[in-house]
Amino acid sequence: MKRWFPAALLVLAVGLALYPLQATGYGVRVMLQLFMWIALAQSWNLISGLTGYVSFGHVVFFGTGAYASSILIVTLGWAWPLACLGGGVVAAVLAFLIGWPCLRLKGPYFAIATLGLNEVMRVVASYYEGLTGGGNGLSLPTLHASVEIYYAMGLVAAAVTAVTYVIVTSRFGLRLMTIREDEVAAEAMGIDTLRYKLYAFLLSAAAPGIVGGLSARDQGYIEPLSVFPLIMTITMIVMALFGGKGTIWGPVLGAALLFAFQEVVWARFIYLHQLLFGAIIVGVVLLMPRGILGVLQQKYNLPRTI
Amino acid sequence: MAPILEIRSVVKRFGGVAAVSGVSLSLEPGRIYGLIGPNGSGKTTLFNCITGVDQADEGEIIFKGRRIDGLKPHRIFHLGMGRTFQVIRVFPELTALENLLVVTTAGYEEARRRAEELLALVKLERLAGEFAGNLSYGQQKLVEFIRVLMTDPEMILLDEPAAGVNRTLLNELLDAVRRLRDQGKTVLLVEHDMKVVMGLCETVFVLDHGEKLAEGAPGVIQADERVIEAYFGR
Repeated sequence: MKRWFPAALLVLAVGLALYPLQATGYGVRVMLQLFMWIALAQSWNLISGLTGYVSFGHVVFFGTGAYASSILIVTLGWAWPLACLGGGVVAAVLAFLIGWPCLRLKGPYFAIATLGLNEVMRVVASYYEGLTGGGNGLSLPTLHASVEIYYAMGLVAAAVTAVTYVIVTSRFGLRLMTIREDEVAAEAMGIDTLRYKLYAFLLSAAAPGIVGGLSARDQGYIEPLSVFPLIMTITMIVMALFGGKGTIWGPVLGAALLFAFQEVVWARFIYLHQLLFGAIIVGVVLLMPRGILGVLQQKYNLPRTI
Repeated sequence: MAPILEIRSVVKRFGGVAAVSGVSLSLEPGRIYGLIGPNGSGKTTLFNCITGVDQADEGEIIFKGRRIDGLKPHRIFHLGMGRTFQVIRVFPELTALENLLVVTTAGYEEARRRAEELLALVKLERLAGEFAGNLSYGQQKLVEFIRVLMTDPEMILLDEPAAGVNRTLLNELLDAVRRLRDQGKTVLLVEHDMKVVMGLCETVFVLDHGEKLAEGAPGVIQADERVIEAYFGR
């Protein structure tokens, strides 16, 4: 990697660390959401960008993390940072339980299974009223911690990106890619594909679980419809695709560009925003399925570590 | 000598079609075996059953004294059985070098040294950093061949190694196969190029309609009436 790049990253990190000192509450909330989207898009990239197994219900880990953390806070009185980590653990456990059978399914069947899982979890959250408050939702005790949550979200986004970097530059990551490239050959060449897919799926579920908890804590109120929305899965997929799936910085770039776009356009034209978002999805799929970085990578023969 | 691989009455059906119906073969270590037969005679299916890609419906497969039918392909690979595919199956968006590195569980430095040795063996060292998908057909074939050798398997199954490889390269490849034999490895290859089969193999099995038609030295097989009939008709 170019020399200037780590230096630029450091400057950016320092800038973001100092940002809340002079920003408005609104500004902090906006950036916090950007971090959330980076963490989500990057997590989706870990399973789907690397192994090619498209998780179409990835928001299930966000919602499960949100509920798990909220319940830990409300009923057990845990401190929110610990409760959010707990949300990550619960999401990873769910990923294990669902991945063990479902990662044996090939291609579209896995996507459909994960999509179904999200619907199931939403119903479960509505049904167990004693714990989740059912359709009435769950209110968390009042707390003003946007700045702390801003830092926590930022750390999670940075951590997932760092994990992605470590994976992509290791043989573990290469083996995940062999599953995407040719699973039959990977298996015949001694790679225990089920185990590798399961590892990737666990890793990809943890951060959305934590982020779900942080988001719930920030919002102060959750309900089944607000934390299990299909549109959120679609958004993280589009972000990762737009920036370049399977790359390290693609999901970060895609999340930043599309989030900025949403912020700018949304405020002005609510309906046009949805139309344009749809147009971007179609455009990416048709014109550059590899995403921005994927295209640059191919054109300029860039290393995989972008 | 005790056989390294024994196939006993293996049957594999796809729907109503028995692709392999009751084939038994016995392979001794340190020899090169050929598996021939007309298209659709069950050669590749038998390969897939041996390596766990397909599960045999009946029969037993014994490798180094241990039953391997029912095991997953990655387990069979780590018991010391490597294979190549009829249709090339390199990992296209991994470089030639990475294609080799992912296979072995050895330490990184050792794996890299071995991979570079093997790339040099087939004169691809200058293309180590190129995506495998960008290499020519013959070069991809070579990458697939040396990928099998990364873990130094005792038994190697080659599915049509000669197809699409030019003469010079082919001769080097065949020399490499002979050297493997001299190191004590067992090789079983499917091949349509009879010159290759006759020049390389010590024993040839002939399959037809999923059954073993004949078995013997290349010269004997070539003169066998039934084999000629299977290939050319009566």
